[in-house]
Amino acid sequence: MNRRQILAGSAAGIAAMATGLAAPALAQSEPIKIGYLPALTGPSSSTGIGMTRGTELAVAAINSSGGINGRPIELIIRDTQSDPTKAVNAVAELTQRQRASLIWGPLNSGEALAATPLVARNGVPMVHPCWVDELIDVKKYPMSFRNAPTNTQVGGGANHYVVDVLKLKKVAVISDTTGYGTASVNTYVPMLRAKGAEVVYSNHVDAANPDLRPELMRMRAAGAEVIMPWSVNAGFLSRILNTRGAMGWDVPVVGQTTLGSGQTRALLEKPEFWNRVYSNNFRNCCYANGQLPASAAEFVTRLKGARVEFNDTLLWWVANGWDAMFIIAEALKAAGTKAQDVVNHFQRVNRRPGVFGTISWTADQHNGFLDSEVVMCEVNSLRDGAFNLAPGY
Amino acid sequence: MSGVASSQRKLMTSLPWLALGLVALLLPLFDDAYVGVIAQRAFIYWILSAGLNLLVGFAGQIAIGWVPMLTLGAYTTAVLTAGTVTEEWNAYLALAAGGVVGAVFGVIIGLPALRLRTFYFAMTTLGFTTITTQVALAWKSVTGGGVGTPGPVFPWPFEPGWGFYYLCLLLAAVATWMTANVGASRFGRALIALRDAEVAAEASGIAKPRLLVLIFLLAGALGGVAGGLFASLQSYITPDAFSFEMSVLFFIAILIGGRGSILGPALGTIILTALPEFAAPLVQWSTFLYAALLLLIVLIIPGGIAALLDFSNRRPLPQHREILPQPSLLRAVLGRQQAPQQLDLRGIELHFGGVRAIDGIDVSIKGGEVHGLIGPNGSGKTTTLNVISGYYRPTAGTLSLDGGALAAEAPPLRAAHRIARTFQTPRLIGDVSVLENVMIGGTLDGRASFVESLLTLPRHRADEVTLRAAGLQALAAVGLDALAEVRADRLQHSELRFMEIARALMLRPAFLLLDEPAAGLSAEEIRRLGALIKAISREGVAVLLVEHHADLIFDICDHVTVLNLGKVLAAGTPAEIRSHREVVSAYLGA
Amino acid sequence: MLESIVSYGLAIGAVYALIGITYNVMYSASRVFSFTAGMLGMLGGVLGAVFISRLGLNAAVALVLVLACGAVIGMVTEVLTVRPVLKSIEQHLYVLSTLAFALMVQQVTAIEFGTEAQPFPVLVPIESGWLDQKFWLPLLACAVTIVGLELLYRRTLIGRAFLAIAEDSYAARALGLPETRLRLACYAIAGVIGALAGFTGAQMLLAYFGNQAILNFYGFVPVALGGMGSNRGAVVGGLALGLFQQAAAVMFGGLHAAIAVFVVFIVVLLLRPEGLAGAVSGRRV
Repeated sequence: MNRRQILAGSAAGIAAMATGLAAPALAQSEPIKIGYLPALTGPSSSTGIGMTRGTELAVAAINSSGGINGRPIELIIRDTQSDPTKAVNAVAELTQRQRASLIWGPLNSGEALAATPLVARNGVPMVHPCWVDELIDVKKYPMSFRNAPTNTQVGGGANHYVVDVLKLKKVAVISDTTGYGTASVNTYVPMLRAKGAEVVYSNHVDAANPDLRPELMRMRAAGAEVIMPWSVNAGFLSRILNTRGAMGWDVPVVGQTTLGSGQTRALLEKPEFWNRVYSNNFRNCCYANGQLPASAAEFVTRLKGARVEFNDTLLWWVANGWDAMFIIAEALKAAGTKAQDVVNHFQRVNRRPGVFGTISWTADQHNGFLDSEVVMCEVNSLRDGAFNLAPGY
Repeated sequence: MSGVASSQRKLMTSLPWLALGLVALLLPLFDDAYVGVIAQRAFIYWILSAGLNLLVGFAGQIAIGWVPMLTLGAYTTAVLTAGTVTEEWNAYLALAAGGVVGAVFGVIIGLPALRLRTFYFAMTTLGFTTITTQVALAWKSVTGGGVGTPGPVFPWPFEPGWGFYYLCLLLAAVATWMTANVGASRFGRALIALRDAEVAAEASGIAKPRLLVLIFLLAGALGGVAGGLFASLQSYITPDAFSFEMSVLFFIAILIGGRGSILGPALGTIILTALPEFAAPLVQWSTFLYAALLLLIVLIIPGGIAALLDFSNRRPLPQHREILPQPSLLRAVLGRQQAPQQLDLRGIELHFGGVRAIDGIDVSIKGGEVHGLIGPNGSGKTTTLNVISGYYRPTAGTLSLDGGALAAEAPPLRAAHRIARTFQTPRLIGDVSVLENVMIGGTLDGRASFVESLLTLPRHRADEVTLRAAGLQALAAVGLDALAEVRADRLQHSELRFMEIARALMLRPAFLLLDEPAAGLSAEEIRRLGALIKAISREGVAVLLVEHHADLIFDICDHVTVLNLGKVLAAGTPAEIRSHREVVSAYLGA
Repeated sequence: MLESIVSYGLAIGAVYALIGITYNVMYSASRVFSFTAGMLGMLGGVLGAVFISRLGLNAAVALVLVLACGAVIGMVTEVLTVRPVLKSIEQHLYVLSTLAFALMVQQVTAIEFGTEAQPFPVLVPIESGWLDQKFWLPLLACAVTIVGLELLYRRTLIGRAFLAIAEDSYAARALGLPETRLRLACYAIAGVIGALAGFTGAQMLLAYFGNQAILNFYGFVPVALGGMGSNRGAVVGGLALGLFQQAAAVMFGGLHAAIAVFVVFIVVLLLRPEGLAGAVSGRRV
């Protein structure tokens, strides 16, 4: 049993309070605490499970090669259970009681929206991969950084593919009613219009709604040539694909990465319903002519060596967790654990290559992902958690 | 006699609160913000649960989905403070507005409960929970839809952190104080009476709709205020923060705590808020565990935590207790009687479909007399009593009091006419004391308004003193004063019969309708009951006695009416009835 | 558009009607409104998916097994949550006990089966003609149930005993009818009907633990509007509700449909608490 597991129990909670009160000087070998807020259970947990594999693997790799200037990383995991309420409690615990030097996560926008202002209030640096644009605001949250694309970039990639590559003009945009889903539609519809496309249908639908046929019929009646769904809910996405298949409606589906997840595939009525489906992905984690880029290929080999499962996750999730932990470790190594020093270091990260993507941050830009690395892929080409680039790239 | 006992009881009930308050006040000294957040959450949840407790624990309304009030309060406060829709409001004013919105919707959702059966109301709250979340998702221009909206930040003196902690603590204390005041008032007792013995409550003049509307207002307002605080604690609210699981948590916390208690549900709320933080591996199963706990509580300890903490009711009661009525006290109990009144039934008929339950009877009941009503089973005795009490609308005939017509089908209005009654099966509230059961009967005499009770203003305190004294006196008159503080469900059957009479006496009745009061009593007890009834009538009360015990009837009645198949078979003095041939052959069997 | 409203609306309405009948059968036997009605519907779908998709059983065998499970769970409901609280029915403790049991079953389902809605296999191996089987199966189940109940009540001795209990349980007991055993049988029948609703409706509703709450509410609406205890009311109300809901969903979107149903429910109950076709309940003294 390791320290983290003990901390989950109540006895250690009291022990931790005692040490907190005593506030001993940090010894040279004292672990550096990093708070981590994945959703490991609940409806939006598949991302969290994938990223946790990469994160834990990175922590093990860093610690086995000497840690941070001799100090090991102690990853304190608090499952947010896809519930903002739990995320708020966990932020208080990680920042105040555990005195974590840095927070990695939350990984879902719903929880990040609640957690970010609280982390900012406590003056702890934070890295998260959530796409909602509002989550990065240098004035409101000066210590918060994003190691992933924004919604605008992700939608821009999909819109670019629909309008410029597939040359389709009449678009149906649909999302579930989560924060992520609604925010996406609200952002993308004007973007599509600005690119000259005609949005003939846009709506938010409860993800639990069993019957999406009326929605798809309204799309078809409106003359849609392509469906763009925005949701992280595999059940919802699979129902769109199943309904499209059952209606015999042969339009492409272009949208969220979860379209290509193993969970979505498992819920399809027929395997061929996965044809003509293109999901977001990231250039570094896609096969071009059957080959992954060198860094990703090496990473996959490493993952296979560590017996990390690929059946139910995506390469980019694992890679994102891995990259995040290394960026954090590099900052702590170079700048120490003082919050402002870490932030200053982050703001000088420039074109740092990663397995997942290239990150650059500056003093007034805490979004760090390159537009050019956001691509679309063919979901029916899933192999080892990665996909072929969509035709046209 | 009761001065020492009552101050001791007060100390016993306030001790746990003092301990909780002390812990809450000392907590900031540890300066552990994590514990602070959990405590703030517990306070906020309790503010909602305190109001909900009156609804669920006291009134017995199955409000499974009360989270919409939290949602409404949270969005109202957040949106008004953010200034996206209106001018930017002061956060404290916005919090008050959240309370108002909660109160309004509390009543709207409560309306069906005034007329509908329990389960319908449960379904209404369930449906409303879903709708509220969906509206919050859809109404993007105001709520921000699924993206949500930032919560309010309270300015000085309750800034985020420990300042906000004190605000939550303060409001939780106020909510506790107010709901405890209501709970201990005649309104609280009336709610419990509606829950466990609705018929007896109606007979005591308790009007369910009016009372429930007040409780819905209060519970909604507290839910709304809790919502405003919740929005601030969360710092950012999205519709998915207001889950159905949360609703279940509040509801179950109250039932685990114990119905009709304030302390129990408060402890229940604290435990259920804090438990998931310390038992992380169990979190996945938490709903299952709560539900299992609920099932256990319902089946095994319906009294919940409060019953487990109720040590005074574990002491064994003396065996072989005797009920020794003191008729000499009746004058004080009944007060100065007005001139004897008269109730007349003329040609009353009542048909159920094709069955003529009552088929044209004439009865007059006069003050100062005991009027016996006898007859075989199904002859219409209890039905006649129910017509007088206003439960049935007669198909034909008139009912008049001193010559004025009496409205049909209006049981709660009977008490105002000083018509009191007891029931064939005693209607009691099992988990409150005998004294409180009896005080129900005096509900109509309280003068303090609901708000006065809420704030324990002087008139409310005077009411309580008067009612308590009157209740003790009534219990002494029927011979149960030694059992005043005992939980009613621990009484023997015969004692319950006398308790019902004491409750009826609290109304200072002009008419007293007794439905088989001697059933299940020993011969000696019947003799004492007879003397008591006789003494009551001698104070000017008109007594209508439905009985099977012929001896008792002939002993104490001034006038006897014999019913058979819904018709009057014979009427007259006991002596005349005794010699009535048909009666003797048909009924007395001698 | 119209075709979608009618086919889906009637089919989902038949599922609601069957859940309504499940409520009714339990209510007639015991005067108890049970939260387990929606749970039975949810289990019908989930267990069907487990038996067919995971265990690879034949659809007919799976149906029999699902119905048997429904009967057993119905009886467990009676023994565990109804019988112990019947003597104090005035306190409505059955609302709490059945709710607790339903929540427990739902949570176990969520953990063991998963929180994701799973597709339900095609039951009848035929090409879908003008009307897909997911639409006619619930309607067929509803018709079979109605006819079956009618035959049971009118033609068999045990059925008449059920009716006697429903009319007046006191008198029935006085006649020497074994009330407890009859009540148990009624709960078993309710279990079968609820499970059948879930099983035949699962191609539309999917096998999903969250269907419990949806079916609890939408199955209750027709009985509340049609009058508690009236199966005819439940069928008419259920089909009407399905059509109304689907029409609103197609024309204005799912959210507005949910709000519309809720508003109609509240307004009708405020105006006519006993339901549109129900009779006023008797006195309690």
